[in-house]
Amino acid sequence: MTIEEQIREIIAKITRVDKSIITRESTFKEIKADSLDVVQALVAVEETFGIEIPDEEAQKFQNFGDFVSYVENRVAQEEKV
Amino acid sequence: MSLEGKLALVTGSGRGIGRAIALKLASQGVDIIVNFFRHRDSAEQTAKDIEALGVKAEVIRANVGDPAKIDEMFDMIGNKFGRLDILISNAASGVGRPVVDIDVKAWEWTMDINARALLLCAQRAAKLMEGRGGKIVSISSLGSRFVLPNYTIVGVSKAALEALTRYLAIELAPRGICVNVVAASAVETEALKFYFKEGLVKNNRQVTPAGRMVIPEDVANVVAFLCSEEAFMIRGQTIIVDGGTSVGLFTLAGK
Repeated sequence: MTIEEQIREIIAKITRVDKSIITRESTFKEIKADSLDVVQALVAVEETFGIEIPDEEAQKFQNFGDFVSYVENRVAQEEKV
Repeated sequence: MSLEGKLALVTGSGRGIGRAIALKLASQGVDIIVNFFRHRDSAEQTAKDIEALGVKAEVIRANVGDPAKIDEMFDMIGNKFGRLDILISNAASGVGRPVVDIDVKAWEWTMDINARALLLCAQRAAKLMEGRGGKIVSISSLGSRFVLPNYTIVGVSKAALEALTRYLAIELAPRGICVNVVAASAVETEALKFYFKEGLVKNNRQVTPAGRMVIPEDVANVVAFLCSEEAFMIRGQTIIVDGGTSVGLFTLAGK
């Protein structure tokens, strides 16, 4: 499974929405994710990929695609290290 | 009132009340373990400011809502220091919703971080305080006893925290551990901005008899006193720091 697919699964499970509606352009509001859902998604993603996503960074995510891109970059950086 | 050479864990001390408590204790010679969950930069800044006061600081990330993370944090403290003198259970979270909109997820998230964390941290801290005694202080709010808009889950979690404090105070007393809780009214912090946004609190500057809002240092001063030997006979108490708001409710109702 790709990073994008894994994050989509995590968010769908937390927000209980069908994962097919989550596109890279979807905003958290469109996915019906409230502030608690977002924090729980961040924590689950952090644990899945062994990275830390500070709130300062998370607040910049405009949509699902931003979230995925951030995690992809971080995972790539970790692999380099 | 020197606490020179003591070691304290302050949960949620990157910002706000936790940061003020960490700095206050540090100013009295206490080495500080700065716990944070979501804001590493703030925690590292707090640690730098603590070190500038001439004591040691250690930064540990842990979500205190997760029992496994609490265990990891205390394992690290045990391995590195082998002791703990002061536990400040300050980290808190919350979901602002009307009663009818509260779901199990929001309830558990808030209760786990705000109430259960004290139980689990106190259990582990008591072991590290074995044979040396210690102080445990947690942070509550007026919402434990008064109804605030959309504050149900947080208020209930704080009531649990205060009740738990009484039980801990009695059961840990034979081990020389003093346990108390400080309950504040709305405190001017970053978290308060969130509560304003969520509609949990309104600007209460006008309804504080003391004439200003409570600031983090007001809470930190009381916490530091409760950590001192002068407070040895205070056990299981909820000390209110609210500038008179709660006792002046009726006189202020018309303002």
